Amino acid sequence: MDITPENNLENSSAPAPSDSSSIFYDGMSSRRHHVQLTLSDRLEISENGTTLASWPIAGIRRAEGANSLLRLSCVSAPPLARLELRDAGLSAILISRCPQLNNRAAGRHGVAAIVGWSLAATVSIAAVIWFGLPYAADRLAPLVPNALERRIGDAAEGQIKIVFGAKTCSGNLAGRAAFFKLMRKLSTAAGMEAPVRADVLDTVVPNAFALPGGKVYLFSGLLAKANDPDEIAGVLAHELGHVRHRDNTRNMIYSGGTSFLIGLLFGDVTGSGALVYASRSLINASYSRDAEQKADDFSISVMHRLGRPTRPMGDLIFRITGNQADKTLSILANHPLTEDRLKHLTDEDRPASGPPLLSDAEWTALKSICKAPS
Amino acid sequence: MSSVPFHAASPPLPASSVKVEFSGDRGEFFRLVRNGAALELVTFGFYRFWLATDIRRHLWSHTSVDGDAPEYTGRGRELLIGFLFAMAILAPIYIAYFVITIEAERAKAFASVPLFLFFYLFGQFAIYRARRYRLTRTVWRGVRFWMDGSGWAYAVRAAGWTLLAVITLGAALPWREAALERYKMRHCHYGDLAGSFVGRGSEFFRRGWKLWLLAISPFILGLLLGVVTRGHKAPLAAGIFVLATVIWIFALPFIYGGFKAIEWRWWISGIRFGEVSFESDLPKGALYGLYWKVIGWYVLILLAFGAYLIVSVGVFVGFGNLAHVAARTQGSIGATIATVIGYLGIIIAMNVAMRTYLLRDVWARAASSTTVYRLEAASNVAAKGDLADALGEGLAGSLDVVGF
Repeated sequence: MDITPENNLENSSAPAPSDSSSIFYDGMSSRRHHVQLTLSDRLEISENGTTLASWPIAGIRRAEGANSLLRLSCVSAPPLARLELRDAGLSAILISRCPQLNNRAAGRHGVAAIVGWSLAATVSIAAVIWFGLPYAADRLAPLVPNALERRIGDAAEGQIKIVFGAKTCSGNLAGRAAFFKLMRKLSTAAGMEAPVRADVLDTVVPNAFALPGGKVYLFSGLLAKANDPDEIAGVLAHELGHVRHRDNTRNMIYSGGTSFLIGLLFGDVTGSGALVYASRSLINASYSRDAEQKADDFSISVMHRLGRPTRPMGDLIFRITGNQADKTLSILANHPLTEDRLKHLTDEDRPASGPPLLSDAEWTALKSICKAPS
Repeated sequence: MSSVPFHAASPPLPASSVKVEFSGDRGEFFRLVRNGAALELVTFGFYRFWLATDIRRHLWSHTSVDGDAPEYTGRGRELLIGFLFAMAILAPIYIAYFVITIEAERAKAFASVPLFLFFYLFGQFAIYRARRYRLTRTVWRGVRFWMDGSGWAYAVRAAGWTLLAVITLGAALPWREAALERYKMRHCHYGDLAGSFVGRGSEFFRRGWKLWLLAISPFILGLLLGVVTRGHKAPLAAGIFVLATVIWIFALPFIYGGFKAIEWRWWISGIRFGEVSFESDLPKGALYGLYWKVIGWYVLILLAFGAYLIVSVGVFVGFGNLAHVAARTQGSIGATIATVIGYLGIIIAMNVAMRTYLLRDVWARAASSTTVYRLEAASNVAAKGDLADALGEGLAGSLDVVGF
């Protein structure tokens, strides 16, 4: 080049020679134009003496490109029209002449703004999880029609029976009579509005639970571990507490809500990903511990009303789980730790003042409810 | 010209050729993803939209064809909005899904499993629309790429082909990719230049069938041993099976790396825009090293995390009897916080390693292996086509599907 870029730009009358390193695309076609630039109050872009474009200085913006070139666009030109400068000297002059070059430049986002807004969004999502969702679950659960709850429960029931490969124990009439007598006494003492459906499932797993819609299931594995009717009565009363508090429905609303909101945060509604999984388990476990605590309290008040001790239920749970503090991280557990529950149930324990819930014969019959009648 | 056309169906050797060049600085990319991962952490993940944008901008702007690199004009904000729209669309769908599941399960337990198909369709729709977004944000020489066609039509095709691929234990995968790519490329355009895809499933199969057999070899071996022993207990057969499976696990990075290299080469070599054709000479072994490096870094990171855990327990709890330390670690807030920080640290480190090797390096190798023929056919293309929204990107992110 015999003319320096500076001369090329300042000399506003004569166009520069054609070996210019500046390339222009007009945004209408992909045709490459080797252009000369003339800078006055506007940037004149011309090819072999023909003016292709004339950009006002104030409208020129930087477009995204590799570091080795300066790529420019203009707000008043077609949006994809580009001027590419590969000459460092020329680029420097244009940069110094165009004060608004970096205004809202392509992709130069304010990192501070993103961080700030993200933190605000996170705080608001966290607040909804901690305060809004429990409130919404409490308020919405009573609005869910019982018929819908029952449908959900029926669906869960089918899965549970397949998973545990278990059948309900219906052969032993004496055992069933004892079971329904116990359930009736508990429901009356608990002041349940509707009769509670209940059944015993033949499986070695020691457990009991309440399904949505209020069906209580007792597993025969738990019966096998139990020493007296009060132990089983406490557990059944605990499940009645879940039915009464509509914990299944509340839990569904709550965990559905947390899944969605945490997904909103980390970007994954399906809930895979360790981080999503971990935070969701932590939050839901804390909610679930709270519900279990309340179901225990409910069980205690029912047993008090019947004049029966509360400690046996704690003993039964302890017999099954053993001491948990050594092996369970308490914030991850969805039930309160067994030793804490045992302590609570022991603290509330009162000597028996009411009649036994079942006679010895009835208790024996209940224990063998899943065995064929002899 | 040293490069030999890859396809029998290719036109006779074209007149002109230019190599695609990748000039991105590795250190610059590393800093980009390192800072981006840290910002992702600080923003609880929200920065991912801007990081994805920055990564694309870097890769696009350093990949030049005939001296001109494409410009990525997408914005992080667009991805965020696409994501929010996706969430708004998906929320009622999840609730509807929930209700239908209950009704189906009531009729018959686990009857709702086929409903997953629906989400599969949605995922494929998202993949199509995500490509459409990326393409319409790609500008080369002042003209943008664009895409039409129907995401749902594509999703139905994809589901059918996937079913076939599953039934055939993956044998139909090459034909699946060819058919789906034909549909996608048929609807891709550069200005008024229409795209197409000429890669054949049979060609892909011919190059990759050995890898396919290796990939399913434990299955075949198990079947053979089962037939030979006729279901009797045979410690020797069991031993052979376990040994073979262990060897297979160590061979997996080679199998997968080889497959990806073949796939890249086949895909690039099948792309056409009007008269313009692409050809890749990526060697089969080009990506092995990258996969092993990622695995190596993951092992190192996990070892470092283990050492860090031991040190932080030592600092906050103290050393001594193992059971004693374990019991006291439970209650130590300091140790718990240190663990959480360490965990987040390894997530950052793993993301950086993954993006550097499997995103940037794979891209760089695939791009540099590419030659473009008859580029002059694109020297005067008229601009055409509209911008597409980022809904597909949002859906793809929400449903956790990957694909291009």
